[in-house]
Amino acid sequence: MRSIAIYGKGGIGKSTLASNIAYALSKFGLKVLLIGCDPKSDSTINIIGKHIPSLLDIMKTNKNPSIDMFLFKGSNNISCIEIGGPEPGIGCAGRGIIVGVNYIFKNLNINDYDFIIFDVPADIVCGGLAIVVKEKYAEGVIIVTSDDFMSIYAANNICRGLNTIRVNAFGILYNKSTKNGIKYVEKFSRKVNLPIIGIIPYSEEIISANKMMKTVIEVYPNSNISNIIKSISLSILNIKEGRIPNWLSINELEEIFYENS
Amino acid sequence: MSVIIHPRPSPIAAAMYMLRDLDVDVIILHGPSGCCFGPARLLEKDGVKVFTTALSENELIFGGEKRLRNILKKINELFKPKLIGVVGTCASMIIGENIKRVVEELNLANKTICCNVHSGLGDNTIGAIEVLKEAMNLGIISKEEFERQKYMLEMATLLEKTRGTARLEYIPNSPGDNPKKVAYEIINDIRNNKEVACILNAKKETAFLFADIIIVLNEIKKKIGGKIKFIANLDPNIGLPRIRNYSKIILEELNRRGINIDFITGGLDEYPIAGEKAKEIVLNSSTELAIIAGIPHAVAIEGKVKTIAITSGSRATSNLKSLGYDYVVNEYGAHRVTLGKKYIHRSILGNAIRKIMRDIS
Ligand SMILES: Nc1ncnc2c1ncn2[C@@H]1O[C@H](COP(=O)(O)OP(=O)(O)OP(=O)(O)O)[C@@H](O)[C@H]1O
Ligand SMILES: [Mg+2]
Repeated sequence: MRSIAIYGKGGIGKSTLASNIAYALSKFGLKVLLIGCDPKSDSTINIIGKHIPSLLDIMKTNKNPSIDMFLFKGSNNISCIEIGGPEPGIGCAGRGIIVGVNYIFKNLNINDYDFIIFDVPADIVCGGLAIVVKEKYAEGVIIVTSDDFMSIYAANNICRGLNTIRVNAFGILYNKSTKNGIKYVEKFSRKVNLPIIGIIPYSEEIISANKMMKTVIEVYPNSNISNIIKSISLSILNIKEGRIPNWLSINELEEIFYENS
Repeated sequence: MSVIIHPRPSPIAAAMYMLRDLDVDVIILHGPSGCCFGPARLLEKDGVKVFTTALSENELIFGGEKRLRNILKKINELFKPKLIGVVGTCASMIIGENIKRVVEELNLANKTICCNVHSGLGDNTIGAIEVLKEAMNLGIISKEEFERQKYMLEMATLLEKTRGTARLEYIPNSPGDNPKKVAYEIINDIRNNKEVACILNAKKETAFLFADIIIVLNEIKKKIGGKIKFIANLDPNIGLPRIRNYSKIILEELNRRGINIDFITGGLDEYPIAGEKAKEIVLNSSTELAIIAGIPHAVAIEGKVKTIAITSGSRATSNLKSLGYDYVVNEYGAHRVTLGKKYIHRSILGNAIRKIMRDIS
């Protein structure tokens, strides 16, 4: 069984990539489990085609729900779970993730799956959001970033968190790539000592597929973007080991964006 | 400053006790049901109804304001309280619960003291000050009274850090000196005509226990004579009505027994500074033995005259020993004993003295 957790700045494309990678891996014949850890519960929507009831919502009234109550099968037989969480502004999403993930791993036979993907909301802002990797539920992290300062800034924060809790990252997914931006991401990748696993360009097909609540591979199987995602998924499958990333001071981070550094 | 390695009094509990002093009818703890169970039970002995919102994992994740709303509503209908206190806990404060908003939604803001504290705020007095501030905002106490009490609480914290149990990192437990031995010491000194000062420097309701030494010393005096002056922080005109009343009750009981307090050093909430006054009085007299009950470390006369300290708690006892008080008696669980009492309760040392005096006659 292999497992990864996807972290990255809000809106950077974590859920889109998580569902597309899940789909690609399932197409390779793997048994895939996609676990959405975001209270928004929108990680698995591209696989199921609609929102599914979240585990924590179910647990409000049933302390011990059976697996079939919160695990749903979607396209290409991918298993999907949404952990869910509080409505915006109240409660504690981090605590929710801790309770939800612990419940899943106590009750699910993990070895039934070849590959597990966790889609985690935003950065590692608190202990709850780090639980997935801290407790080694996921072997390592994939960081999604784009080439703008703020997303690299967030990626660096994630590196810092991983460094603190001594957790491995597998590498960086560079999403919504631009012609001029690659050099920044490359510099960042060198400095934090993480490989760029894949580069995903900005794609109208992705947007269009997302609108249909489907993965781009399902809607445009032969498109260039689908091939890119399939090849990235293969790379992920072939990663042997991760490493604890370095992290940069704010000055070092700014230097990345100096033209002649 | 030393690092804290022992559990310390909690701001949540301090807030609850302060609410009791303000005569609230009910206290609702917004948190898990196990939180502050100990103080809650003690306060029930004192006539305050204590409730909890019993937050569980569900509420910690999804928020517990609805729970608070329901319980507040229910309690308000059931008991028609005149004054309510709602106190935060670690769990509810960490997840950002808004107690005030719930209270306002229920139109209970004019009779509810909301206290956003948790146990990680530092000094326990922070919880008490929070309550007082809200009480001032509600017009229950005046600005002057708030300032006076805030100053006292800050002085109490300072006292704990300079001379109390917060001054040392590790404090072993100590059973204190044998009460019987100390009782003989006192009786012999009085018999030998030593000049004795008996100082009550107690905190609030614990005076109902620590004042017992005044009664027994007076018994000795009546029986065998002796030079004893009484100094006490029993000013019945200082503090909240409830606290003033403690002084009044104790003074009346002492009066009934024909005891007159020679020097009043302040109110029952003024022990951090009343001790200074007591110290002055003692050092400006020819006192040879000082017997100090309550918070003896606020009366810094150890080493200057012979001292017998009477306190409660095995860490407080050990602290007084290490400060250099000659004898220290541990009145176990003074707080537990005095909660809900409205009369002077017999103390361990008092009983030891009584027994010896009985044998003498
Ligand atoms: N390569 C891409 N090209 C074009 N649009 C993209 C690409 N990747 C993601 N998007 C779009 O970006 C938006 C955000 O994507 P997504 O919801 O996957 O991000 P996220 O990181 O999961 O966000 P959140 O932090 O809110 O969970 C979506 O509208 C998605 O369609
Ligand atoms: Mg997402």
